[in-house]
Amino acid sequence: MKPFRYARPGGVAEAVRSGAEQPGSRFLAGGTNLVDLMKLGVERPDLVVDVGGLGLDEIVVDSGGGLRIGANVRNSDLAVHPAVRRELPMLSQALLSGASGQLRNQATAAGNLLQRTRCVYFQDVSKPCNKREPGSGCPARQGDHRNLAVLGGSAACIATHPSDFAVALAAADAEVAVTGPAGERTLRLDELYLLPGEHPERETSLAPGDLITAIVVPPLPFGTTSAYRKVRDRASYAFAVASVAAAIDVTDGVVRDVRIALGAVAPKPWRAHRAEDALRGLEPTASAFRAAVEAELSVAEPLPDNAFKLPLTANVVVSVLSDLTGASR
Amino acid sequence: MTTPTQATTPAAARTRTPIGAPGRLENDAKGGVGTSPQRPDGALKVTGEFAYSSDLWMDNMLWGVTLRSPHPFARIRAVDIAAALATPGVVAVLTAADVPGRNVFGLELSDQPVLADDVVRYQGEAVALVAADHPEIARQAAKKIRVDYQVWEPITDARAALGHPTWNRLHDHPAEDVELSRSAAAIHPKGNLVRHLKIRKGDPDEAADVVVRGEYSVGMQDQAFLGPESGLAVPDGEGGVDLYVATQWLHVDQRQICTALGLTPDQVRLTLAGVGGAFGGREDLSMHVHGCMLALHTGKPVKMVYNREESFFGHVHRHPAEMRYEHGATRDGTLVFVNCDIYFDGGAYASSTPAVVGNGGTMGIGPYVVPNVRIDAYGVYTNNPPCGAMRGFGSVQTAFAYEAQMDLLAAELGMDPIDLRVRNAMAEGSVTPHGQTIDSPAPVAELLQRLREMPLPAEPDGADIDLRSLPGGVANSTHGEGVKRGVGYAVTYKNVAFSEGFDDYSTARVQIEAHQGNPLVVVHTAAAEVGQGLVTIEQQICRTELGVENVIVHPKNTDVGSGGSTSASRQTYMTGGAVKLACEAVRDRILTLARDRTDAPLDDAALVDGNIVTPSGAVLMSIADAIGEAVIEETREHHHRPTEEIDPETGQGFAHVQYSFSAHRAVVDVDTELGLLKVVELACVQDVGKALNADAVVGQIQGGSAQGMGLAIMEEIVVKDGKIRNPSFTDYLIPTILDTPPMPIQVLEYADPHAPYGLRGVGEAPTISSGPAVAAAIRQATGLPLTRVPIRPEHITGT
Ligand SMILES: Cc1cc2nc3c(=O)[nH]c(=O)nc-3n(C[C@H](O)[C@H](O)[C@H](O)COP(=O)(O)OP(=O)(O)OC[C@H]3O[C@@H](n4cnc5c(N)ncnc54)[C@H](O)[C@@H]3O)c2cc1C
Ligand code: SF4
Repeated sequence: MKPFRYARPGGVAEAVRSGAEQPGSRFLAGGTNLVDLMKLGVERPDLVVDVGGLGLDEIVVDSGGGLRIGANVRNSDLAVHPAVRRELPMLSQALLSGASGQLRNQATAAGNLLQRTRCVYFQDVSKPCNKREPGSGCPARQGDHRNLAVLGGSAACIATHPSDFAVALAAADAEVAVTGPAGERTLRLDELYLLPGEHPERETSLAPGDLITAIVVPPLPFGTTSAYRKVRDRASYAFAVASVAAAIDVTDGVVRDVRIALGAVAPKPWRAHRAEDALRGLEPTASAFRAAVEAELSVAEPLPDNAFKLPLTANVVVSVLSDLTGASR
Repeated sequence: MTTPTQATTPAAARTRTPIGAPGRLENDAKGGVGTSPQRPDGALKVTGEFAYSSDLWMDNMLWGVTLRSPHPFARIRAVDIAAALATPGVVAVLTAADVPGRNVFGLELSDQPVLADDVVRYQGEAVALVAADHPEIARQAAKKIRVDYQVWEPITDARAALGHPTWNRLHDHPAEDVELSRSAAAIHPKGNLVRHLKIRKGDPDEAADVVVRGEYSVGMQDQAFLGPESGLAVPDGEGGVDLYVATQWLHVDQRQICTALGLTPDQVRLTLAGVGGAFGGREDLSMHVHGCMLALHTGKPVKMVYNREESFFGHVHRHPAEMRYEHGATRDGTLVFVNCDIYFDGGAYASSTPAVVGNGGTMGIGPYVVPNVRIDAYGVYTNNPPCGAMRGFGSVQTAFAYEAQMDLLAAELGMDPIDLRVRNAMAEGSVTPHGQTIDSPAPVAELLQRLREMPLPAEPDGADIDLRSLPGGVANSTHGEGVKRGVGYAVTYKNVAFSEGFDDYSTARVQIEAHQGNPLVVVHTAAAEVGQGLVTIEQQICRTELGVENVIVHPKNTDVGSGGSTSASRQTYMTGGAVKLACEAVRDRILTLARDRTDAPLDDAALVDGNIVTPSGAVLMSIADAIGEAVIEETREHHHRPTEEIDPETGQGFAHVQYSFSAHRAVVDVDTELGLLKVVELACVQDVGKALNADAVVGQIQGGSAQGMGLAIMEEIVVKDGKIRNPSFTDYLIPTILDTPPMPIQVLEYADPHAPYGLRGVGEAPTISSGPAVAAAIRQATGLPLTRVPIRPEHITGT
């Protein structure tokens, strides 16, 4: 591990200042991803700013059922929060399907959103990787890409975002509250995460010193009819191979509104707008669900070893929406 | 079977003993052969007090690290250590030029350099060593060593390495031979073939009514032990060294270390440190020579501990295999012939590839009677990670193939798969493909029939389903729709102990004295305890043979003769047998002493509950009184009956000393839409000859079953272009408790008349039959051929 300086700021402003002043600094929350990557030599910060002492660990429920989740709320605490389980079961299910009990006790909400890709070349500093070393190349296309992106990738990078929680948040139209050197702002998840394009090293729109202070989830009246489902290589303690977060409102026999986000298929949690648009106003049948998800996946660019994700993802979407609506298959 | 007591050279006086060095194991447990007493190391392990090799510590010790090759195949043009050596805190940087003896080691063939000097043949090969006063300083310094590599294209396909036709196989599609592979460069001077085993029995062209063909492949499995490679080397100041290390066979390590260091065995003394699992992965050397080189060079104790990532490069793995089988049978299901080609990818160095080919080949068609057999089994050098010993040793791979073939044949004949197996099952007196007559019970048919009679688990009833019981588990992955249940069977046999003419033996020293009026026994062997419970067995045998309660297990070291390897399911048989022989010799001496003190006839006397008793149970005197002030010590070797090398052209010969038999039935629920599965139950019936310790037997069967299941459904080291892509337990998946089903187990005890107590080795057979049963169940549920393991979601969803 590269030697680094360690700071423990007393407040948000000081944390932001430290982060902004020192290029190559990193905020440390639960450390379950950052410290692993530092050991591998993938992350090499000069300064580690520990934000664990800043509080930011409250969950506030507003009267409409919206949530404001402090950046440092532990994944375990969030998953079992009664309001989360009641209003947005998919959020709780996504959290519980991730990592292990011990890790969830340590991992924070903001840290989870900003965890880095599991691409094996990204984690191996002896290999080229455009994300880690811009311009060095992307060995994944020719090499091991079984769990990499079929949507939203670029010639430069096809990494997937590994978070389960972020997929459910994307379906819930969540935003992040950020405090930066220039003050406070909020970003939709769409705005937070960038697609790789020619610059896979830029994963988010956060600038040095930008600290996430909270995650804001607006009220979603039909969030109670939501679910997260994840396919993985073993029954627990494994990253997704394909996953879906969905919420659906069926009124008078037609789909009045629907939210679908896909995991493990793209460099960011993939909000399936095309599929949503295709479904609104239709009867909730398995064939309608299948047609909708196939429309979403029609723009996919699979490679030989990850092409299986397309039918698999379609099957998961159909099964989740059918379950939520009671549609027969 | 016995040889006279050998004088052993006492270790050079050791100046200091490290913290974490093993102590004598003693406990209050009672119980001899056939009971299940508590393990002497059990309480220490569950309370966290047991010292593993990574816990070893000495003040003033240095930390050693290894620089490894990032390339699978390259020439080393130059190594520049100046910058590393100049790093403050660094005490030594060593390269191939510093190897004091011969720069070579290897279990069966000495083909691997201690430190690469000219060519590196796999990613992770050791190139240089650093010792520093802090591990992080050593790691940073290692990065400053500049190695100038001329990188070559690696050879990564076993058939291509031999210039054989390549099978152009897409998953689950029949293959075609593609032209002869472009002849590949020789990775070693004598070419890329490590061993070609041929079996020729009967007439392979015999006509059959029904013929089925299949091609199968097995991915590379890791032993996945939790305790990483580690040890501490302590120089004695007189040119010798004491090494504390977690390993499987102290004496074979010692032999290789002596060669590499140019020292004699009395200068290189080994002690077994706490072993955190082995499964074959510690049969080869890891840090042994490296640690000793650094210790001798610096004159200070040197500790080395691999981290998890390095551990994936620090030990051999299970050979991946590509296999092509052809089974012919009559209409009524009698096997007429089996032909097969088996390719084991041995990676860059031989390790135990020759013996793996020997097992995989000789037992390559399973426990069936077949008059006409042709087997060609190859072990091959490639630039993939070296492969060697892992629980099941060559038989795991072939069992996936031959059991899939039996199901295919049953389907083709419209026969029940168990009926087909029973019809062709081996029994006592059957002759194997390598021409050996099975001369002890072989209850293959009974194992299968018992499995068939075991009740099946209940079908899920729809209401109140526990998510954990469904495919996908707590991931909320499926709600039972589209879930199909399959049931699969598999049976296997596996040789116990070392084969093909190897003079396999173990040594035991047993000492008894009277301590505060009670007899106290110390049992000393060099046989490695790796978690399997040999220390408990050693105590049990002493209690039974000597009629005493208090038995202390001496630390395992090279002060006593070789215990042989803790592998091949052999330690209870071999070292257990040696302890029994040594006890018998001690008993004779006790009775001799007793004769001085009594006129009663002692020829039929026995030692029971601390006393010398007549056949009718009358107490003649206490053992303690008989011994008096004497200290009785006897050392014995136990050799198993000799085996012979097989004929190089026909493969015929008395190759194996003993076989163990097991069978599994797997019940699996498969979500065919999401590609998820849940092994609902994994039932096993195994013949163990005699259960010396019933709890330990069940533990071995449970662990072996889970490990075999892991290979069937998730475990694989992903290697691309010769490089390991998932060297972590985040990315290399092993079953968790949520993946592990209930395991109804039946243990049969048909004694083998040739073995001590009639016992059979237990540890490996269940690892072999469980995976094929799981694969069979998934095939039955899905109707898919599924010819490759591990089976992944994408194979089930058919994409
Ligand atoms: C074995 C294993 C299995 C796992 N399995 C899963 C899984 O199945 N599903 C899943 O979703 N995840 C999984 N994870 C990932 C885990 O969820 C993340 O490691 C965890 O959520 C990260 O949270 P943390 O608080 O520890 O973040 P840290 O490691 O502390 O930080 C992660 C990143 O976020 C940045 N950061 C943290 N807080 C802030 C902030 N307030 N503002 C700005 N930047 C910030 C850090 O600088 C760093 O770059 C797994 C991890 C492991 C080790
Ligand atoms: S996919 Fe992205 S992260 Fe992976 S190797 Fe290519 S550039 Fe690096």
